[in-house]
Amino acid sequence: MPEEQEIILKIENLSRTYTQGKIPVHALRCACISVRKGELLAIMGPSGSGKSTLLALVGTLEKASGGTAVLDGTDLTKVPEKLLPRVRREKIGFVFQHYNLIPTLSALENVELAMRFSGVPKKERKQRAKVLLEELGLGERLDHKPTELSGGEQQRVSIARALANNPALILADEPTGEVDSKTRDSIIRIFKELSTKGQTIIVVTHDPEVAKECTRVLRITDGMIKD
Amino acid sequence: MLDLIIRNITNRKVRSALTICGIALGIFAVIVMGAMSENFHQTFERSMSVTSDKIRVFAESGVFGGGLTDNKVSDVLRVAGVKDAYGLLMTTFDEDKMGMTGKQILGVPPEKSSVALYPVELKAGRYLNPGDSYHVVVGNNIKREYELQVGSKFEIHDKYFTVVGILDYTGSIFDNAVIIPLKTAQDLYNVGDSVSYIFAVPDERVDAEMLSKRIELSVKGTSTLSPGELEVQARQSFMIFSVITISSGLLAAIIGGLCVMNTMLMSVAERTREFGILKAMGAETRDILLLTLGEASCMGLFGGVLGILVGVGSVFIMNTWLAKTRIVLFLITPRLLVIAMLFALLIGALSGLYPAYRASKMSPMEALKHA
Ligand SMILES: Nc1ncnc2c1ncn2[C@@H]1O[C@H](COP(=O)(O)OP(=O)(O)OP(=O)(O)O)[C@@H](O)[C@H]1O
Ligand SMILES: [Mg+2]
Repeated sequence: MPEEQEIILKIENLSRTYTQGKIPVHALRCACISVRKGELLAIMGPSGSGKSTLLALVGTLEKASGGTAVLDGTDLTKVPEKLLPRVRREKIGFVFQHYNLIPTLSALENVELAMRFSGVPKKERKQRAKVLLEELGLGERLDHKPTELSGGEQQRVSIARALANNPALILADEPTGEVDSKTRDSIIRIFKELSTKGQTIIVVTHDPEVAKECTRVLRITDGMIKD
Repeated sequence: MLDLIIRNITNRKVRSALTICGIALGIFAVIVMGAMSENFHQTFERSMSVTSDKIRVFAESGVFGGGLTDNKVSDVLRVAGVKDAYGLLMTTFDEDKMGMTGKQILGVPPEKSSVALYPVELKAGRYLNPGDSYHVVVGNNIKREYELQVGSKFEIHDKYFTVVGILDYTGSIFDNAVIIPLKTAQDLYNVGDSVSYIFAVPDERVDAEMLSKRIELSVKGTSTLSPGELEVQARQSFMIFSVITISSGLLAAIIGGLCVMNTMLMSVAERTREFGILKAMGAETRDILLLTLGEASCMGLFGGVLGILVGVGSVFIMNTWLAKTRIVLFLITPRLLVIAMLFALLIGALSGLYPAYRASKMSPMEALKHA
């Protein structure tokens, strides 16, 4: 299926060098990847190999040292600082290992928050947040605070949040890193379903069980990754 | 956004409450000190307006030097441009030896009493008339303190006086004045024909400043204080008083502001990761600033409202308590309330500025890695 689809993300020679004191750390060296729409791409590699760095660059959370990353027609490395929040809102959804929900807000409000920044009217965003959470089986948990939810439930809330603005790309950094195998399976199932509906997802994982379910697996070592 | 701000404040109840109390305490000080200054200011302005038309003439050697007697009055009257002149004997009320409460006995020639008191109006009775001796016109505070009416007896220096007139409340020094005939006052205090001042009323269309100089030159042994000079003198001492009271209030409020800054820095540091999340979700720098500045300003607002409520309450209680002793010390004015409120907001916002800047400048990835 992916072959017929257009390429939604094209990474070329993307690199990132940190300078730790005087010693340069090449966290990412000339990554070249093309991702098609609807792909569920797994990225695997040892700890410290640059997986999170790759996601941070594609997610515009950090500046690249070189190369390009064109997402949905926009070269992310050329977007001026001021317009980055807008790109994040409109094109990218994040799912983190530690869920990263806002502890003072309920499940519903956490999902809503993503749409608040994009100026969706209150009624509409409430409605959409509710629908998303219900689709992920959290219809009974709308008003629960993160501390009142299990890890799996929190991760589903954060997936709903990532989906809120209909992003071109979802970036998930070890989304199953902290949950048991049953919850892991349900998260994979959600991702697969989203992917068949045309949602592009990149998943960083250490878990072969997760990788096995993905449409493609790429390996990264020492900051080097190629298609 | 407001709901998020409120939620952040209520989520850290004790800390927010302490911060708000810090601001409230500062604003409380601003209100109390400001009310004192406002009261002083009002008395000052009103006293100025009731005495501003007259030139004070006193002995060259000063008010307490003596040497100014009744016969100088006719000299002053002879100066061209003087419409009216009268001597006035001023002493503090016997009961009040130290002069602390500002009660004063004013001996004025009976026939000039209405001129001397102008523009203060009578609330009841009449001014002094020629031929009056042991008769008295009292200011409004004196009337209230001694529960006097026209016809009541009033004791001064072991002599009984009959109250013939009661003055309207003015908010000026006249509220604490006891006005008796000059001759009676001179006898009562055994001062012969001395007077404390001579007041000269300038003709209309005569420049008071010029006339003041002319009197000084033509009447030997006198110096004068024109309304303008008096105002300048009084305004200086008033300024010093205001600066002292207001700056002590402001100091307290600034301490309240540091309190907010500390809380905000703490809460921003604690929420580093949260700001990272918000940024990853596409929050604009503007949103982050709004959240943090809004939180600080809200605490300023709550602290301000609380401080004003407590301040106004205490001023009210103190004034009621002091009413018995007839001293009015505090005056709450609308402008004082507005200033206090604006100041509270300003302090909140200003002390939120740096923490907000810190929060907005954080790199999202760094913030997300923060534990
Ligand atoms: N802010 C930074 N400053 C300096 N070096 C950094 C910084 N962030 C990451 N690195 C380095 O870059 C390399 C890649 O880090 P990265 O976080 O991308 O690894 P990772 O593959 O996600 O590892 P893990 O599986 O443990 O999460 C590491 O060697 C790391 O020490
Ligand atoms: Mg990582």
